[in-house]
This record gives sequence, C-alpha cells and structure tokens, in this order.
Amino acid sequence: MNWNLYRKELKRNRKNLIIWSAIVIGFTLMVTSIFPFMQDMGEDMAALMEKMPAELSKAMGMDAETWSSILGFYSTYYGIYIIVLVSIYTTSTGATIVSKEEKDQTSEFLMTKPISRLDIFKTKMLALFTLSMIIYLVQAVVAFISISIFKGAEVSWEAFIIMHLGGLFLMLFFTCTGVILSMYVTPKKNFMGIVVGITFGSYFLNAIGQAADAVNWISYISPFHHMSFQVNDPDYGVNYLSAFVLLAIGGALLYLSFQKYKKKDIAG
Amino acid sequence: MQTHKYMEAIKTTRLSKYYGEHIGIKDVSLTINKGEVFGFIGPNGAGKSTAIRTLLGLLIPTSGSAQILGHDIVKEGKEIRKKIGYLPSEVHYYDEMSSRELLAYSSRFYGEENPAEIERLAEMFELDLDKKITDLSFGNKKKCAIIQSTIHQPELLILDEPTSGLDPLMQNRFFELLEAENEKGTTIFFSSHILSEIQRMCDRAAIIRKGEITAVENIQALLEKQMKKVRLVFKERPGKLVLPEGSQHEKWHDNKLSFEYVGMVKPLLQFLNELDLIDAVLEEPDLESIFMNYYER
Repeated sequence: MNWNLYRKELKRNRKNLIIWSAIVIGFTLMVTSIFPFMQDMGEDMAALMEKMPAELSKAMGMDAETWSSILGFYSTYYGIYIIVLVSIYTTSTGATIVSKEEKDQTSEFLMTKPISRLDIFKTKMLALFTLSMIIYLVQAVVAFISISIFKGAEVSWEAFIIMHLGGLFLMLFFTCTGVILSMYVTPKKNFMGIVVGITFGSYFLNAIGQAADAVNWISYISPFHHMSFQVNDPDYGVNYLSAFVLLAIGGALLYLSFQKYKKKDIAG
Repeated sequence: MQTHKYMEAIKTTRLSKYYGEHIGIKDVSLTINKGEVFGFIGPNGAGKSTAIRTLLGLLIPTSGSAQILGHDIVKEGKEIRKKIGYLPSEVHYYDEMSSRELLAYSSRFYGEENPAEIERLAEMFELDLDKKITDLSFGNKKKCAIIQSTIHQPELLILDEPTSGLDPLMQNRFFELLEAENEKGTTIFFSSHILSEIQRMCDRAAIIRKGEITAVENIQALLEKQMKKVRLVFKERPGKLVLPEGSQHEKWHDNKLSFEYVGMVKPLLQFLNELDLIDAVLEEPDLESIFMNYYER
C-alpha cells in the first residue's frame, strides 16, 4: 500500500464519484418521496397487478404488496436501477483504474518509481473499493433518511439492511469483473458500453429466467438471481452461501487480474 | 562519496527480449562501471528503448539476466528504482497536474520533497512550474522530465534520447547539469542516435543494431576511426593527386572532388594544407553510413 499513490487515485476520481453519487442520490430521493402519492393509488395498483400477466410481475420483482409499503416500493427500484447504477460506476472505475495509466502511457512514469507492481495493484484496488464504499454508503444513508421521512407506517429496518447487504455483494462482484475486463480487453473508446452490458445484461438474464419457467436455468448464471430483493417475503434473510460464492469469485478475478498484470509488458 | 561493494553500475548477461517472434534485443552483454558516462548508439528501431525498458522493469526479459547497482532487475526492481533516475524519450505525464504537482508527486515516492531544488532547476531550464502538463510543449515536458529524473539524487541516470525537443541553449544547460552530476559520482547511461552528443558526453559507447550489440568502443578510438565525408573544390583540377591513407570512394566531378576518409584528422589536414582550394567541407556522416561503412566490415 502506497499512501502517495492512494491519495492521488482518490483525488483523480473525485469528480466522477461526485457526479455518480449525485445521480444515485437524486434517484433514491425521487423514488422514496413519490411513495406517499403512489400509496394513495395502492388499491388501484394492487387490482391492476392482479390483471397483469404473472410472468411480467415476476420479471419485475413486483407483487400486490409492492405498493402497500414504502420498503416494498423502494425495493423494486433498488434491485433494478439503484444497484445497477452504482455498479456501473464502480465497475467502470474498476475497468479504468489500472488501464487508464497504460492508455495514457503514464504507467511508464509510475512503474519507474520505487514501487512494486504488487504495491501498485494493491493500492489501486484499495482506492477502488474506497470509492465504491463511499457511493454505496452515501446512497444507503440517503435512503435511510428519506424512507424515515416518507414511510407513513412502520418499516422493517432489518429487511432494509438485508436488502442493502445483497446490493453490496452484487456491487463488489461487478467491481471485480471490471478489473479483470481491463486486463484482457482494450476498447477503442472506453469501457462504458461493455460495463452497462454486463450489469444490465445480468439483470435482464435474471428477469427472463424468472418470467418463464421453461428457461428458468438462465437466471442461475446471473448474480442477481442469488440476491433476493423480495423484502415482503416472510423468510427474507441474507443468503450467506450466495454472498460467499460471489465474493470468492470476485476475489479470484482480482487474483487472476494481478497474475496478468505482474507479467505485462509496458510497451512505449 | 560513499564506498560501494560493487564496481558495476549495470551488468547484463545475454539479456534478450522477444516480442513473440520479433526480436527486441538479443544476447546483450554489457558492463558499465560506476561513475562512467556510457553511450548507447543505434538507429531508430535498433532496440535502444527495448534495452532500457527491460532494465527498468517495464518489459519482462525473455532470457538472460541483468543487475543494476548489484540488484537483479526482475526480482529487485523496487530497490533499483530507488537509486536510479529515468528520462524517457517521449514524456507522458498526468495532463491534469501542473509541473509543480507532478514533481512533488514524483518526489514523494522517494520519501523526500525538495521544493528549493525543484525551484532552482526550473529556473535553470526556464520552466513555468504552474502550467498544466497538458499545456506544455514537447520541449517543456522534456524539461519537467529532466528535473523529475535528477531531483532525488540518483546513483544512476538512464537517459533515452534526452535532448530531443530541447533547443541548443537548453541542450547546453542540460549537458552542464549532467557533467555536474557525473562529477558528484553519478553514473550516466546515455542513449542517443546523435553521434556528436555521445562524443561530447561519453567515455565509452556501445553500438546496437537490429537488437544486437555490434561493438563497444572507447570514444577516443571511435573518433580516430570515424569516417568523414570530404568535399573539395579546386581552382583547377590537379593532374595527379595522391590521397592520404584511409581514403576511399574517390569521385571527381569537374574540379570538385569528394571522398570518404577514415583515420586521424592530422594527416588529412596536412594533405589539405598543400592544395590550392576554393572550398573544403568536412562532414560527419550520419550514423547509418557509419554502420554501413565501418561496422559492416
């Protein structure tokens, strides 16, 4: 861990972090603050849900109760948009935090300083996960405050925490995929297209698998399948096995990334 | 100066780097002594940068080994890089930083910041420290890189085409800086394709061609062997002329004579002195023709 490099990474990524945090905070506030208005329509919505094809509502992770509590309402947005947005930011940062130096050829500067490749990699990963945790925690705190204000009725904070933990594991997993992606792929412009594809793509894979029993297996390959956002499920809890598997795969991806980085030729 | 256990600043043993099938450098064996100014000459694409980048740890060698200041380049790169300064031929720094920020950032990797010395060198090279890197010209980036490479008082300086982009005045100041550093005991590894620079600075030089070292020469010896292109214009074409020993490729065109000369300069000047000339031009041939004419033989 090199403090000098760590500080520079945080400083360099500051602007992007602020922009993405603002987007995620804005979205969280919007979703939670419109709940009181949606609640008024709750009965109509519940009736509508019953008329909707079951496949569609399953794909969207909705049920009749979705509209009856703020947490249920928030969870449908959290599981799709918020986690995907946060992951797009952390994954694209993961994809660029090492590779940008090579693209800009500043790696020549960095790697001729008295610092080992392992130190560079460790420090950059630490900076990456610091940035990821900042956006994650800021979003969670804003959601907590906003739900407290607009809840109307009692909220199960336990379910809130379980759901956010699920989001954390997904985010960490996606972040690691960004790092390994940058070790093997050199896009012409930037990683954004691929990153959006991976994150939204995994979500849709899960949605398709959920909607149609015939292709149920598809959802198993999506990390979203393994983290539930069904806060109204009476057995709702942390799926420790899935969490462990996601984190273990993430760790393995980082290990493979370093093995690649260690032997990389930095051409002029 | 402190005493050192080892005499060699750089020692490479059959060091090779292949890019797939393509040869970068092949079987490079060199020994550069401490305190020496060592030149590294070769045309573009001969493998100069590949050799340097392998020594620095940017490229992983395919085979062979090398030690810098007694440390292995693959296993102890971090130790080596504490003690060396590197000046790249093309400078790529963080665009969003100013030179001052870049130099402070660079210094912190070595543990000490020395703003007064940065200020002194910036003044010497007339570099505006507060301008952003992105707004600097090629030459000004180079000046920033010069300061970056010397600020931490390295034991060994590795310079890759150091003068490209610098105007003659700045080149001079740069050479003065190098001479002062060398005086203090710094070893200098000086890669260039400009022979006159090597002649000015270096004690010895290695010549690299197509990835292989073709000769390691004492500069004095190189100067004596160095070919010159001689072009003479006579008032009248003389009847019979015996050219000094070491002349070749004699060509007449009316009253103009051109030939190539390899040897000491004194006999040539004595020969010229006795001729009735309108004009005489002595040219340093480009490096390519030295390779073609001398090293091919």
